[in-house]
Amino acid sequence: MAKGIYLDYQSAKPVDPRVVEGMSKYFSDEFGNPSALHQVGDVATDALEESRKKIADFINADEDEIVFTSGATEAINMGIIGFALRNKKKGNHIIMSEIEHISIHNIAKHLERQGFVISKVPVGQYGKVNLRKLERRITEDTMLISVGMASNEIGTIQPINEIGKLAAEKGIAFHTDAVAAQGLLDIDVKKDNINLMALSSNDFYGPRGVGVLYMQKKYRVNPLIIGGGQERGLRSGSEDIPGIVGMSLAVDILKKEMKPEVKRFQGYRDRMIKQVLEEVPDSYLNGHPKDRLASNAHFRFDGIEGESILLMFKDMDIAVSTGSACTSKTLEPSHTLIATGLLHEEAHGSLQLTTGRFNTDDDIDRAMEAVPKVVSRLRDLSPIYTKK
Amino acid sequence: MKSTKYSDKVLDHFRNPRNVGTLEGDDVAVGKVGNPTCGDIMEVYIRIDGEKITDAKFRTFGCGSAIATTSMTTEMVVGMTLDEAMKLTRQDVADELDGLPPIKMHCSNLAADALHEAITNFRKGRGEIVEEPEMTSIPEPGCVVGQDEFLNKGVWLGIEDATEFKDLRTLILHSGDESVQQAIDLTEFTDRVILLTPEKEVMTTPELKEQLENSSVKLLTESRLLEIRGEFEVEKVLIFNIDEDEEYELFVDAVVIIE
Repeated sequence: MAKGIYLDYQSAKPVDPRVVEGMSKYFSDEFGNPSALHQVGDVATDALEESRKKIADFINADEDEIVFTSGATEAINMGIIGFALRNKKKGNHIIMSEIEHISIHNIAKHLERQGFVISKVPVGQYGKVNLRKLERRITEDTMLISVGMASNEIGTIQPINEIGKLAAEKGIAFHTDAVAAQGLLDIDVKKDNINLMALSSNDFYGPRGVGVLYMQKKYRVNPLIIGGGQERGLRSGSEDIPGIVGMSLAVDILKKEMKPEVKRFQGYRDRMIKQVLEEVPDSYLNGHPKDRLASNAHFRFDGIEGESILLMFKDMDIAVSTGSACTSKTLEPSHTLIATGLLHEEAHGSLQLTTGRFNTDDDIDRAMEAVPKVVSRLRDLSPIYTKK
Repeated sequence: MKSTKYSDKVLDHFRNPRNVGTLEGDDVAVGKVGNPTCGDIMEVYIRIDGEKITDAKFRTFGCGSAIATTSMTTEMVVGMTLDEAMKLTRQDVADELDGLPPIKMHCSNLAADALHEAITNFRKGRGEIVEEPEMTSIPEPGCVVGQDEFLNKGVWLGIEDATEFKDLRTLILHSGDESVQQAIDLTEFTDRVILLTPEKEVMTTPELKEQLENSSVKLLTESRLLEIRGEFEVEKVLIFNIDEDEEYELFVDAVVIIE
């Protein structure tokens, strides 16, 4: 049997083998603790600071604006909760989009219980944040705006530059979750007026369990983890040197390879979108037709349900994703799809295909062969599908 | 347990569903449960000879366990008497499939309910007295909450310049052929036009009906607009589904009410 096909890079990425190789010596040979003052500790300190510099360069930040965390979720917690608690006197109002990652919406609930007021700004039918509606929500109590760089589900790229500019004009801090976009879009925190930003190592094809909070110089956050004062007291706990080195090695690779790689993903994406919409009747694209991540193709099909789609792909050894309620922990359909204006029944019939570094043309061929088959098979069973 | 972690039997019925299809005839009864909002619809058809079920078929829209439980139900009921089949429970179906993930027990295991409905329908057809649950009443159409507040802020009493609706998600309330025509015309400017009617289908001329079917207009039948919501302007609407007796929110940018 042929090797399985992986088209769910948005949910997890394999670590690049070159990264694994480069990390390996930091587990047992160069195992030191940067806090130790001897030569073994010095090697670790050098590795830590060199990694910090490489990652800072990649996003046009300065080294002392990088805080290593245990992943993007912790970075987001620090960037939003840590910032909100530290800067309470500036106001208690936070604006975020309706289509932020679920971790941010759950943080919003947490902050509401602590007395903060959260406004969610709607998106248009293709998933873009409406700037006019964002601006109208700003009050004198607004202290933070958080809008993700791109949607992790439908791949729509947000007008980050305009939002950064607006926030700067109004003197409001701007946080962005860059996880869905990193490695696919050029990130420049200075050009886009980003004050706080979360990154994950895995989304650069580095190891999981490492992330970064970018924090612009004059912006302050309360630490969430108290201890030995590592990371300038902002994030205590002995640094995960192999993981941090891994993240920086992943960035090294991207510095050289990102451009051609993104072009290759674009080719896959455009082909998938064209073929599915042409070959499958009553199929639609979710997300923006132009301003979307190179890796993301997201569809919906009338009359069928996403978990069934996923199971059929699973039987063909193709890994895909869906926004259907039937696969979620809460049995609610994707909040992102609902925010774009879809009915529940439409959101149920969705299929998300995200490509990445180790996909080949052959993977796309096989997936494209599978889609029409899966859809027509499930429609044959469906009482609510009638061909238009 | 992962929601998609299924037993081999569930997977077998999902991959090779038994008795897919419909039945016809005077001796056939059908039961339908679920709704597209929660992601499952199951139709069970049974053929009845006297007191015995002699054949069963099904159609299902839904997840893996929805398909598998309906398939299994149709296998289990053939040969049963109506009384026996009325006693078949969701748990029996789940047991026969070697269990279901707990989260799926309720939402996607409604096939037994569809079967019971079919039997009840059949018995009623024979003139037997059958106990029925009370029907909830349909609220009468009243004024739409927010219509005045958002007038000219996303609520429009007609379409003068269709270009102003470019890329806007537009909900049009069905009120005669003019509203149907405008819905069809608007699809030239935006991908999302929704036509809402409380009827089972849109009442209009045969020509417009055909055009409507070939257009990208999304139909919301048996639905009423209850409320228009937003901050400063229209952002969401609250819709009532008459058939399912439930309310839900829908994100839109414009509401057109032709009076």
